[in-house]
This record gives sequence, C-alpha cells and structure tokens, in this order.
Amino acid sequence: MTGLTSTVVRLKLSLLRNGLRQSGGRRAAFVASAVVALLFAALQLLGLLALRGHAHADAVALLGTAVLGLGWAVMPLFFPSGDETLDPTRLVMLPLRPRPLVGALLAASLVGIGPLFTLLLLAGCVLSVAHGAAAYVTGVVALALALLVCVALARAVATANVRLLTSRKGRDLAVLSGLVIAVGAQLVNFGAQRLGSAGLGQLAPVADVLRWLPPASAVGAVHSVSEGSYGTATAQLLLSVAALALLVGGWAGSLTRLMTYPDGSTVQAADPGTRERPSSGLGRLLPTGRTGTVMERSLRYIWRDPKTKAAWVTSLAIGLIVPVFNALQGTGSIYFACFAAGMLGIQMYNQFGQDTSAFWLVATAISSPRDAYAELRGRALALLVITLPYATLVTVLTTAMLGDWARLPEVLGLSFALLGAMLATGAWTSARFPYSIPQEGHKNVAPGQAGLAWISIFGGMVAAALVCAPVIALTIWVNVSADGDAWTWLLLPVGAVYGAVVTGTGLRLAAPRTARYLPEILTAVSKG
Amino acid sequence: MTDAAVVETAAAVRVRGLWKRFGQQVAVAGIDLDLPAGKFIGLVGPNGAGKTTTLSMVTGLLRPDQGSVEVVGHDVWRDPVAVKARIGVLPEGLRLFERLSGRELLGYCGRLRGLPGAEVDKRATQLLEVLDLAGAQHKLVVDYSTGMRKKIGLAAALLHNPEVLFLDEPFEGVDPVSAQIIRGVLERYTASGATVVFSSHVMELVESLCDWVAVLAAGRIRATGTLAEVRGDHPTLQGAFLELVGARGRDAASNLDWLGGGAAR
Repeated sequence: MTGLTSTVVRLKLSLLRNGLRQSGGRRAAFVASAVVALLFAALQLLGLLALRGHAHADAVALLGTAVLGLGWAVMPLFFPSGDETLDPTRLVMLPLRPRPLVGALLAASLVGIGPLFTLLLLAGCVLSVAHGAAAYVTGVVALALALLVCVALARAVATANVRLLTSRKGRDLAVLSGLVIAVGAQLVNFGAQRLGSAGLGQLAPVADVLRWLPPASAVGAVHSVSEGSYGTATAQLLLSVAALALLVGGWAGSLTRLMTYPDGSTVQAADPGTRERPSSGLGRLLPTGRTGTVMERSLRYIWRDPKTKAAWVTSLAIGLIVPVFNALQGTGSIYFACFAAGMLGIQMYNQFGQDTSAFWLVATAISSPRDAYAELRGRALALLVITLPYATLVTVLTTAMLGDWARLPEVLGLSFALLGAMLATGAWTSARFPYSIPQEGHKNVAPGQAGLAWISIFGGMVAAALVCAPVIALTIWVNVSADGDAWTWLLLPVGAVYGAVVTGTGLRLAAPRTARYLPEILTAVSKG
Repeated sequence: MTDAAVVETAAAVRVRGLWKRFGQQVAVAGIDLDLPAGKFIGLVGPNGAGKTTTLSMVTGLLRPDQGSVEVVGHDVWRDPVAVKARIGVLPEGLRLFERLSGRELLGYCGRLRGLPGAEVDKRATQLLEVLDLAGAQHKLVVDYSTGMRKKIGLAAALLHNPEVLFLDEPFEGVDPVSAQIIRGVLERYTASGATVVFSSHVMELVESLCDWVAVLAAGRIRATGTLAEVRGDHPTLQGAFLELVGARGRDAASNLDWLGGGAAR
C-alpha cells in the first residue's frame, strides 16, 4: 500500500514537473501564481492572527473555513483538466484495488499549491481562535481533519462527476465558469461592502450554523475547547471525522463503479427517432440566399458555441453594467452609454478565428470578392440584429436614469457611428490579422499568436476611434457652439447614416482581401 | 502519341511542379501528376508522405510555394469561380461547424453554395437517408462519432453534385458498416462518370476500390498508373508499395525475442 501511495505521489509530482517543463510561460505562470497564493495566504494569516481576541474572531474563522470548503467542492467542476490524477478512468487498466487506491489518491491530492494555500489559511483560522494548550493540541487535529475533508470533498465531487466532466457538456460548462467566477466575485464584493458598513456582528447567526458544518466544525471544536466546553468540541470533531469517513466512503464507491462499469458515454443512446422537427422560425424570418444562411449560422453559434456565448454574455453584461452602475452611483455620464455599442462591436473582430478550422467550409464556398462581401455582410447583420436594439435600449435606459433626455439623440447618434466604425474595422482586421481561438480551455489565443490578437483588437479599436472622429468632433462642436442645442437632434440621423456608410465601406475593403487570402486565413485560424 | 493526347484532354486534375515547404521541412518536392477523369483514384503513401499537403493545395485550401494546379481545365488559383463550383472536398484534421445538427450543416453548406433552399433540403434528406444518418440528423455534429463525422462530411462534399471529389483519408477511423456505406455511395458516384480522388495508407482498401493509383513518398511521386501497372510483378499492391517506398527487408522483430505467450515475466 505504501508503495502505491509513493508511486501515485511521485506521479503527481512528475505531472507537475513535466507540465512546467513544457513552456517557459507555464513555468512563469506557476511561479507567479505560487508567489501570489503564498503572499495572499501569509497576509490572511497575519490578518487572522491580528483578529485573535476579537469578539467575532470565531465567526470570521468559521466563515473562512467554510468558504475554503466550498471552493474545494466547486473547483473540480470548473477546472476538470487541472489534475490528471483526478481522473480515475486513466488508471482503470491497472490491477489496483479501490481501498489502497483511495488512500494513495488522497495523499497525492495533498501535493500542490492549492493544498499548501489551504493549509496556511486553515492554520490562520485555527490560531485565531485557539487559546490554551488544550486548544492548540485540538488545533493540530482540527487542521489535519479540515484539510483532509477539503481534499476528500474535491475528490468525491470530481469522481462523482467524472463522466460529466469528460463529456462535451461538462467541457462546455467549464468554458462558462469564468463568468460564474466573475459574478461570484461581484457578489462577494457586495457582501464585503455590506459587512464593512454593518460590522462583523452580522456574521454571528451564520457562524452558529457553520460551527456544526464540516470542515468548519473542526475549527469550531478548537473554539469550543478554548471556551472550555469539551463536550461540544468532541461532538464537533466527531462530526468532522464522520464527514471525512462519509466522503471517502462515497468516493471509494463511485471510484469502484467508475472502474468496473463501462463508460456510458460511448454506448449508443436510444435512437431519438426520425421524428420531424419543425424548422426553427429563425430561418423564415431571415433573408434568403447567402446573407440569411450566414446570419442563421452566426446567430445559432452565439447560443450554442460555449466560447462564443461566453464572449457575448461578457460583452452584453459589461456593456450594460458600466453605464447603468455608473448612473446608479451618480457618477455616470450619458456618454458611457456608448460602451454598449463598443463592447458589442468587439464581437465583429476575428470573425474567421471564431470559426476555427471549420473556416474551410466557408473558404471552399468563396470564389470571388462578391462572395466574401456577402459572407462578411451576413456576419455583420447577424451582429446588428442583437446589437442595434441592445445599444439603443442601454442608451435609453441610461438616459432615463440620468433624466438627460435632451442628449439622447446625440448619444444614440454617437453609438451608431461607433458601432459602424467597429464593424468596419472588425471586418478588415478579421481579414488582415486572423488568429485562432482554441476550443478547449480558457485561452482565447493560440500560443504564438498573442501579438497578432493584440494588433487585431487594439489596433482595430484605435482605428475605430479615428474613423469615428468626425462624428465625435461634430458632437463637441454642436455642444460648444452658441446655438448648438437647437441642432443636437440632427446628430442622430447623421450618426446613423455615418455608421451605415462606414460599415459598408469597411466590408467592401475587407472583402477582396478575404477572397485573395483564403488559404492564409485558414492556416492562421487552424492553429492550436 | 495519340493516347497521350487523349489523356491530356481528359485529365480531371493536372499538377505541374508543385512545391511546399514548412520552415526547413519540404512537404511536397516537385510533383507532376495527371489524374484521369471518370476514375476512382487512390493517392497512397506512408504517414508524412505529403498526401494531405498535396490534396490541400489541389483543392485551394493551401497556397503552394511553386507550381500550378488545374482541375477540369481550370486553374485553381486563377479561376477559383469555375473550380470551386466543380469540386467537393472532405479534408482530414479540419473541423466542421460542429454546433450545427447534421441536417443544419447540410442546409448551411448547400445554401452557402447558392443552391435553392428547397433543392438543398431534398438532397439533404436523400443523402442523410443513404448514409444512414437520418436517425441522428437533429443531433449536433459535435456529438457524432468519427464514422458519422466522415459521413456527414461526405454528404456536405456531395451536396452540390461536384465533378471531382477529393477525400482525405475518408475511411480513417470508420467502422466497417459505415465504410461499406461510404464505399457504395462513392462507387455509384464514379459509375456516373465523376472522378474521386482519395488518399489512404490502407493498401487492401485502395486495391479493392481504385482503378488508378499514384504512390507518394517523401513528397515525391514514386509511381502512377492503373492498378495493374503499379502492382507490376507483385502479387499485391502492398508488396509493390513497400518496395516503392523502400521499406522492404526491415525485420523489426529480431530484437524482440522475449515477446510471446506463456511466461508472464
């Protein structure tokens, strides 16, 4: 058994080492994240030590431990490929029994930055509530228990979901996890602000629940010992031990099932039948011919392709949050409403990269600049179907919140001009600086193409601002001139027409380039 | 003389002096090739011989460093309008639009090529039926198996009824049932006078399917001609092929004398 444990731990270390050996960038990222994690943990440790003796120290310690536990529980769902020893199906061909394997895998789980980080934080939590020799002794046990519960929790969750995580739907889920984390961070921020204003006393009722919930119950036991209530402490420790046993038992069970039953994902699903499915209404609403065909596919991809969806949701959210939140806080300007148009216009960039190597299907169907123009126009129109109403809505909403109705026409005009400029430069950079977007993982640029991506997006955005300059200048001029207020309404049609003309020009410039360099674009977007 | 002239005019594909380098590595080193029209043509060679690179350049998906390619008399790079309407392609290692269902993918490809919608839907229904994909037509292609992907790719390549069909490893990773279906469709297609060019390294398959073969190794053409011509004195194409690519006489097993059943050590 010890032989197996040391083998698996060594396997984990080799995987870690070989992963780092692959590239300097990965090594740098590893070192950087290690340093950041350790610094953060050290600061947290100091902060928790400073809390010693504070009336609500136990509440903070319990909450901290609970959050750590939660983190360990959800981590494997979002980063399934992070730890290859997590996937027991890789070991399925080896003659191993589940019981020793569980011990070995648990030991291997303790290797890495994550466990070290957790250990430091838990140590801080324990130290902040431990008073007296008995409490310190309990603390050592609690520390080990809490850490093991965290790690076992992660393993149990991962193993229970391994079929999901290695399936297509699971990987789709992982791509969207960035969004969940961003929203979660927003919520944590919100909670922290409330705490800051209302004081730590708010945590007391939460702490009363958490002190009985593993892994926080282990830290709760230390607190109980410090207060002299040994009976409570024993119960809390036993609860943690029971949780650990339960988790390990459940994990061993699903491990056995996984390793002895066939992979259900390769078994042919019951034939869904040849039932006729009514064609979606989408197709009928769109124009016929190439334009409608391209629009339909683009719109379907926004919904069905996780990468595209994530990019769109981010753009939609930021485009709304920046102007509206600023308006809510009273620091807003109505001109922030242009953010919506700007953020959504970014989606026009690297159009062909979004296709990945499936671009060959497009390439074989483009034989002239006219085809390329129809292709680009279809994509721009698909974008406008969503962007135009959305940018208008955000602008009207921001205006309503600020009550600045007189400026609505000019801001709308600016938004439309900006959108047109983004579409035009987006189309052109799509043809000129294509780069591939890897479909797996969180990266949005293939290795070696980061420079290209920067040129494409930032160069394009600067160009868009320049293209937009006449309308911006006109807006400023109308605003500063003496009787300009009477003419601001004119900026709406001017901006809209300018945006449309610029878009048309951009597409016409991009089309011949696209048609001429199809093989080069295909090569660029097929990397990674 | 007259025979040569007939071949010249009837060539489905004419390649002259084709070169492609990737950095230091020469993938295709000066290929001249005339592929006769109306034949089932096999492009065979070991892994890394340059089959995929050659097919990519012939179909306009990769720009050659040098050389010219004509498909049914039209230059691939100077007259793409005429060529792209006449060829169907199934590349290897490139994705499809996998977030579409099989039926949606065919609808997309057909309409993108300018076919009328009703005609596309009719052809798609028939192709899905023949290729045994009707049951999975509403499933996303991303959830298809390898064989199903090859079949839906073949359907997309056939949809616009091309004159010449280029297939890169169409049988790689395909189960025998799907392979038989693909085979049947391709045989029916060539019987009507169309040309199929496909690459493979499975000699038995090439031998049973093709009437014309080009052997490629290390970026060069080693032999071309009818099956009988290329096979020569060898009983099988496999034997002729191994000799052509210079892989005869390597006995890899001599050092593996411990390998065998019985002892578990």
